[in-house]
Amino acid sequence: MATDQSPSEPEPFETGRIPLSTLFGRPVVIGVLLLSLAVLVVPIVMTFVSSFAESATGALPTGFVTLEHWRKVLGLGDYGVRTNALPGLTFSVAIATAGMVLNVIIGVPIAYALSRYDFYADDWVNTFAILPLVPGIILGIAFLRTYPENAGSAFGLIVGYCLLKSPYMVLTVQSSFQSMDLQQLEESARSLGASWPRTFLTVIIPHAKQGILAGSIITWTLAAAEFNFTYMVHTGDPEPFSMFLFRNISNAPYLQSAAAISIYFLIVVAAILVLQGVGNSGFTTVQER
Amino acid sequence: MSTRTSVTGSIQQAISRLQAVASPSTEREREQRRIALLSLPFFLLAIFAGFVPLITMGRMSLSADRLSNEGWSTEAWQTLATDPTYWWIGFNTLWFAAAATLVSVAVGVAITHALEKYSLPGERLIVAAVSFPIALPGIVVAFMVIVLLGRQGLLTQTVAVFSGRSAIDLATATTIGGLFLGYVYSLVPRATMILRGTYAEINTDAEEAARSLGANSFETFRNVTLPEIRPGIVAACILVFRSALAIFGTVLILQGGLVVVTLRLDRELSVGFNSQMAGAIGIVYVAFLIGFTFLGLKFVDTNRVEV
Repeated sequence: MATDQSPSEPEPFETGRIPLSTLFGRPVVIGVLLLSLAVLVVPIVMTFVSSFAESATGALPTGFVTLEHWRKVLGLGDYGVRTNALPGLTFSVAIATAGMVLNVIIGVPIAYALSRYDFYADDWVNTFAILPLVPGIILGIAFLRTYPENAGSAFGLIVGYCLLKSPYMVLTVQSSFQSMDLQQLEESARSLGASWPRTFLTVIIPHAKQGILAGSIITWTLAAAEFNFTYMVHTGDPEPFSMFLFRNISNAPYLQSAAAISIYFLIVVAAILVLQGVGNSGFTTVQER
Repeated sequence: MSTRTSVTGSIQQAISRLQAVASPSTEREREQRRIALLSLPFFLLAIFAGFVPLITMGRMSLSADRLSNEGWSTEAWQTLATDPTYWWIGFNTLWFAAAATLVSVAVGVAITHALEKYSLPGERLIVAAVSFPIALPGIVVAFMVIVLLGRQGLLTQTVAVFSGRSAIDLATATTIGGLFLGYVYSLVPRATMILRGTYAEINTDAEEAARSLGANSFETFRNVTLPEIRPGIVAACILVFRSALAIFGTVLILQGGLVVVTLRLDRELSVGFNSQMAGAIGIVYVAFLIGFTFLGLKFVDTNRVEV
């Protein structure tokens, strides 16, 4: 637990005895921060670095630099097409993109309705819209029985991903709307003669474009490697990217798994860089300005 | 007679309200139509991809046939209510998720505190790094644990070199400890991001006043900062606990000797395709999740919810 509360300037009037909490509190909090950062970041960096190593028998991987594992997971050179990531990645990217578009269509209007208007049971609607209703694995089981023919089809995956990831879109767009005076914006456009649909499409939506963009990137990235739902419903052909990752993590040699996972790391790094460009400090729905 | 008129009356009222939404004549009615139109796409998706499948799953738990919803049988529910195995699985899931939640939120408070109150170099980079694991699916989180604690793991090998013991004996990735690290790895970033929103809203005047009146840094934190962030901490606990209950990929890879609900669901289906049992567990799980969320959020402001 954090035990320190300290402004950036040093102790002003305290002379003589420095309180124990000041002496230890701050180092402890910084220590927790550094330890957490190490635990979170070191395995990611290790995995990425190992993917270029020739062997990993000791504590540290050795024999740099080889691209063999990358060639294997990308299916370049002598390695077969069946085992590489590209077909699955292409399939998952297409599915994630379609899910993202669907998320914009369903997420932006409800985010606007919730931010702009007061209506009956709006707090309930809000809770349902911003919290994942069902965990992926249970939605997968329910899908299997409800839509036995289509649960694992491209369409089933798109709809499932869209519902599972919709809270991220709604939250990000709401976060964007919160900094605007929506009523004034709407009334100004209306008083200048725009119809309500036109106001919504040409005034409101462009104002929220940063939030929509951020929400799109988040929902897209999360859907591209969604596992729990995919694992339950997928039919295996084409094999979604997360199933490729799963097969590698559970069966493949260590370094090959590292290369497979590193493909996804690159995607996440790219997503975070774009998110920072549109005003999010990292992979979160919180918009900072 | 009187009930019949009141029923017809309320039906007529409902029809006239629907008519008002469909062809509004006042500005108030037009606004209602807009709200209905704006909410429609989301509700269509929620109904066909959410509620209908959940109802079908409920029906599945009562089906006499394993492969399709035919006939009626309450066998699965009787087993669920009487077999202590399932009670233990529920208990395991709850205590493990609760413990991981408490640790993650505590670490999250420390990280957020350091980020908001100390002027650290590279704050943007730290936030980006802490938020990175939110994007990782559970199976990748499991691999991260293996990288640290597996047989070839960084910590395992380091300890093996210094202690001279075999790395195979030292590997803890697939024990309950490794699983706990996996849970915390997924949850600390979520807790931190929720708490950051709370910290941003703190009124720093009160903290400065406390400091200038002679309170030391710990007293200021306990008496001024903590009461201000308490609602945020409660919200973080609720949301992080929900996430902890839904973890599946990490458990599937690491196993960890602990059977939690999600793992059991998978086993019910992969061994013998016991779909009725899976349906019953799923319904209990979702009912608990929804009940817990609405009960929990009664105590906090939903504006604090961030993911």
